[in-house]
Amino acid sequence: MANLKDIRDRIKSVKSIQKVTKAMKMVSAAKMRRAQDRMEQSRPYSQSLQEVIHHILPDVDRDMLPLLDVRKIKRKAYIVVTGDRGLAGSFNANILKMAQNEIDSFGKENVDLFCIGKKARDHFKRREYKIIESHVDFWAEMEFDSAMMIGRSIIDHFVSGKVDEIHVVYNYFINVGQQEVKSEVLLPLVYDENDSAITDRLYEPSKDALVQSLIPRHLNVQMWKYLLESYASEQAARMMAMENATTNAEDMIKDLTLQFNKARQAAITTEMLEIVSGAEALSE
Amino acid sequence: MNYFNLEIVTPTRIIDEGEVSYVRCPGLDGSFGVMKNHREGIIALGVGEIKVDRNGKEEWMATSGGFVEITHEKVQMLLESIEKSEEIDTNRAEDALKRAKKRKSKIDVNMDDARMDASLMRAINRLKVAKR
Repeated sequence: MANLKDIRDRIKSVKSIQKVTKAMKMVSAAKMRRAQDRMEQSRPYSQSLQEVIHHILPDVDRDMLPLLDVRKIKRKAYIVVTGDRGLAGSFNANILKMAQNEIDSFGKENVDLFCIGKKARDHFKRREYKIIESHVDFWAEMEFDSAMMIGRSIIDHFVSGKVDEIHVVYNYFINVGQQEVKSEVLLPLVYDENDSAITDRLYEPSKDALVQSLIPRHLNVQMWKYLLESYASEQAARMMAMENATTNAEDMIKDLTLQFNKARQAAITTEMLEIVSGAEALSE
Repeated sequence: MNYFNLEIVTPTRIIDEGEVSYVRCPGLDGSFGVMKNHREGIIALGVGEIKVDRNGKEEWMATSGGFVEITHEKVQMLLESIEKSEEIDTNRAEDALKRAKKRKSKIDVNMDDARMDASLMRAINRLKVAKR
């Protein structure tokens, strides 16, 4: 039987771990709520933008904008969005697994990587993938400008012809308990060709010029969306993981307390046995 | 007076202006006004000020550009940023203006001309709107 002091120490340490996980859960919950609010705020903008582009695009010559350029795919770029920190259940692992599978099936040497979040950077650096750029440590003060900054260099990479297709692997936020790893094509833009154009509308300065200014904006918003979705998912995943950790700690404390009491009683019983048998030996 | 619905949408914020009678937007080649029954269309906007008239009550805002979608049902502005005149921090705006001017005066290899001019224009615009 384990001795009493050992068990008492273990109970103490589990209790202090539980305090930490509880606090982390609460912090994540608050952060997630904020991220969720921002996500909801950004949705109308991206939706309206998308609708407008849908309306105009059928009338526009695709050769005009390099961003609409559909080329034969020789090289790809992957944008992998993870968090900076662990302790979020399988959040980072799922993303990295999916990204790596896709990259390996296309051929590691033909893929350029943009890593967002420390976990992605470290993972792919260790395995010697070709990382073009990585962005870390910006989540706390994430603004729309950060999305624009990240977007700019990625768009340049496509426009200059270094890659022919850009994929994004990120966590899509379904609800608090559910996130889905998604892989989407960011560039070149593809749209249903059968969208009906609305006629008799005023376009100023011109449809072409509008598309030229709309599409970079659309990509920035897209980037912003990926960041927000991923951030909200990360916080949600961490919240769930910490919630589980807290309940597990609770179970452990229960088990350990039971063990402790058993050990204590056993100790008392042996002690009493010793006294009684000692007394009996004397009286004889 | 004829009213129409105005909605301003940015990536981080939505302002529902509700019923307004007139709005003046900074188009790329000069300002233009929108009233009820304007022709439907999509018009690009540049850096400038937006004036909203609600039954004689005026409201001023600064934007850094975007575009406006006009339909018969409503007018929707999709902008990169929006700041109401009372929200603008004048001190910050002045600092930004000083910074932009300083940058313009010395040649910076890391900044292209277009971006430099844009930040200068935005700073001037914000100050102008703040004083309304």
